Amino acid sequence: MMTVVTTETELLSTKAPVPPAKHRIFTLRRFTTPIVVAVILGLLLWWVSSLQLDSIEQRTLNWQYIARRTGEHLSLTVVASALVAVLAIPLGVITAKSPSKVFRAVVLALANIGQATPAVGVVILLAILWQTGYTTALVALVIYAFLPVLRNTMIGIDQVDANVRESARGMGMTPMQVLTRIELPLAVPVILAGLRTALVFCVGVATIATFINAGGLGDMIVNGLKLQRYPVLVVGAVLVACIALLIDWVAGFIEDIVTPRGL
Amino acid sequence: MNGFDLQGLLTFWSRRGDDVLELAVQHIAVVALSVLLATVIGVLVGIAVWNRPMPRSLTIAAAGVALTIPSLALLALLTPVFGLGWTPTVISLIFYSLLPIVRNTVVGLREVSPAIMESAKGMGMSPTKILFSIQLPIAWPIILTGVRVAAQLTIGIAAIAAYVAGPGLGQMIFQGLSSLGSKNALNFALSGTLGVVILALLIDGAFVFITRVTTSRGLRV
Amino acid sequence: MSDSTATRAANGAVSAVSTRSGVGITLDSVSKIYPGQQAPAVEDFSMSVRPGELVMFVGPSGCGKTTTMKMINRIIEPSSGSIAIDGRDVLSLDPNELRRHIGYVIQQIGLFPHMTIAENIAVVPRLLGWSKQKTADRIDELLTTVQLDPGTFAARYPKQLSGGQQQRVGVARALAADPPVMLMDEPFGATDPITREKLQAEFLRLQESIGKTIIFVTHDFDEAIRLGDRIAVLSDRSQIEQFDTPASILSNPANDYVSSFIGQGAALKRLALIPITDARLKAATGASGVPTVVADASLRDALDALVLAGLPAIDVVDGGRAVGSITIDAISEALGAEVPGMPPAGA
Repeated sequence: MMTVVTTETELLSTKAPVPPAKHRIFTLRRFTTPIVVAVILGLLLWWVSSLQLDSIEQRTLNWQYIARRTGEHLSLTVVASALVAVLAIPLGVITAKSPSKVFRAVVLALANIGQATPAVGVVILLAILWQTGYTTALVALVIYAFLPVLRNTMIGIDQVDANVRESARGMGMTPMQVLTRIELPLAVPVILAGLRTALVFCVGVATIATFINAGGLGDMIVNGLKLQRYPVLVVGAVLVACIALLIDWVAGFIEDIVTPRGL
Repeated sequence: MNGFDLQGLLTFWSRRGDDVLELAVQHIAVVALSVLLATVIGVLVGIAVWNRPMPRSLTIAAAGVALTIPSLALLALLTPVFGLGWTPTVISLIFYSLLPIVRNTVVGLREVSPAIMESAKGMGMSPTKILFSIQLPIAWPIILTGVRVAAQLTIGIAAIAAYVAGPGLGQMIFQGLSSLGSKNALNFALSGTLGVVILALLIDGAFVFITRVTTSRGLRV
Repeated sequence: MSDSTATRAANGAVSAVSTRSGVGITLDSVSKIYPGQQAPAVEDFSMSVRPGELVMFVGPSGCGKTTTMKMINRIIEPSSGSIAIDGRDVLSLDPNELRRHIGYVIQQIGLFPHMTIAENIAVVPRLLGWSKQKTADRIDELLTTVQLDPGTFAARYPKQLSGGQQQRVGVARALAADPPVMLMDEPFGATDPITREKLQAEFLRLQESIGKTIIFVTHDFDEAIRLGDRIAVLSDRSQIEQFDTPASILSNPANDYVSSFIGQGAALKRLALIPITDARLKAATGASGVPTVVADASLRDALDALVLAGLPAIDVVDGGRAVGSITIDAISEALGAEVPGMPPAGA
């Protein structure tokens, strides 16, 4: 669902010129997000420890339980994202360079329909058609996060200036060399933006994975809601939001480091 | 593993067509309401901060944060305060719509070429007049793209909102979940999901049309 | 300021284009210093521009000529000094109101892409509250003046026009409310040489009939010579090296800096400014099958034809009839006669 959003707006932001500051990697501003997250988590901890927890809440609000759910959540996210990267980027490259207009049109059409599909629908349909559990959730995540990466890869390669491509060929590079030495490096910022989006999606959809018994922090949210235990709900929701923010931040960090200088 | 039964699906639709339609209408309604409100708020915010670097980056960062938070989390967090149903749904949908709209408004206003800005100023237009007669019309296609993106975004999130009793086709999807194992589970979930997909495609098409119609002919690429 | 002039001109709607409507501009010790920079962009600039005069600001990039011009309509605010238009202090007026009475043309034109050509031209008249009818008439009139058929072009959008056409619309738009003063910053700079030539010729004709007071910035010295009534040759910090008529500058450059602008061939450039009728013609030779030159050409064209023919004299033709002949001696004499105090060459 968020494909077009972040593709276009991320595209807009990657087009803005990056100031060539020398030590722009390690400034204070860069660490705003983790600091803010740390503060929020600190506040959360302080709040929870000041509460009188009943037995139900105690079963949920302890380190063991939280750690396990977080682990499940992160595992889903990371594994799914890795799979998506391995599958979608090559496919995106192939599609972008494909001479067949029909092939590209079909892929793009499927992508368009795919992005219109709600994540929760995909998750639940898979559960009904197949089974509930971790694997299904993983598959749903991969399907859902596939599209931003695919699309961004295609756009990233397409948007390499035709003039740049032409001068590369004019220098005698083979198409493969142009691809690996010119187009892919130039497409990196856009591809990374897509991966970053995919990561955030995965965190989000992993939250929904709770509905099909795949674990994760969604469990806390849903339990909190069902059993009307406000603290449990809040802890689960805030935790998952913080994880999303942190992962987005890490992805942004990596994006800046990996982007070729001069872009 | 539940198999797919086309005959069963068709029977399902013939019997519950009205329900599906009603839920679809609700779905569109909640999305339309939220996106409309978000557009008003977002464009106003964009107008307020577009040429002030500090507030601008703050606003966009804040809206970006909103988009990163998983929708179920936000919905859940709103329920203790706002209860279930329409209210938390609309609030979170507005929340999620703000980034694309504010961002596109700011970018659109800033991208009006300096030559145009200067000749408008040189002709004696005040900054407010320039904003409304020149910048906004030129930035409109970009702003509208942001609204379109927000609409697509919220159509999907609205489906999740059904979990907190939000209106729309999400309710059908969750019904499929809760009736897991029964013969209609798949039909429910499929109808809900397909319905959302179709709505999304329809609304996207509507936006293409709206963009064409409201953009000055001189701007169309 | 120019209110009475503008209203008078605007009220005479039919012949508004051909009203002589310029007013004087005075700059007094105007300076511009940007914060954080040591050297001023414009230092102590003083100049008096007569009503109806076309003054060219010529200088290299970065010398401050554009900055100076932009202070007149306060797109850039002066740091010190005063500027008066028609005797009224520019700094005491509301900037937006001021600019509605000054025509402003910049190099990239800046036509509003979302408006039709007619709507673009109508902007300032509408800001001034003109009636729809008056505005519509004015649009037709202006488009005709810049040689664009109103029927075809009024409803088009800027993206449908060529560069040269857009430039003309830019000038028409600046003329819309019939301002007495115009500021033009390299308005023909972005066009190819052929289009630029045409635009310059049309512009000369236009200025002849409307007689506005114009400040025209250019880095092209030949353009300055061709168009200007007076030229200000500017150096760093917008210092005036010489402010005089083209002919005077060509024959008497004030210093090496000005000479470097003129470059080689100063005499030839001067010849382009002098009509043949200024020279002493001898009797027609009546020769046939040899090059001739028309009577309303310049001395440079005559020299060009002489060199081509390889003859001592060629006929000057007016209306198909030979009215006299011209020689190199006569040309040199005319050139010499331009500058008092110099011995006539080859007398």
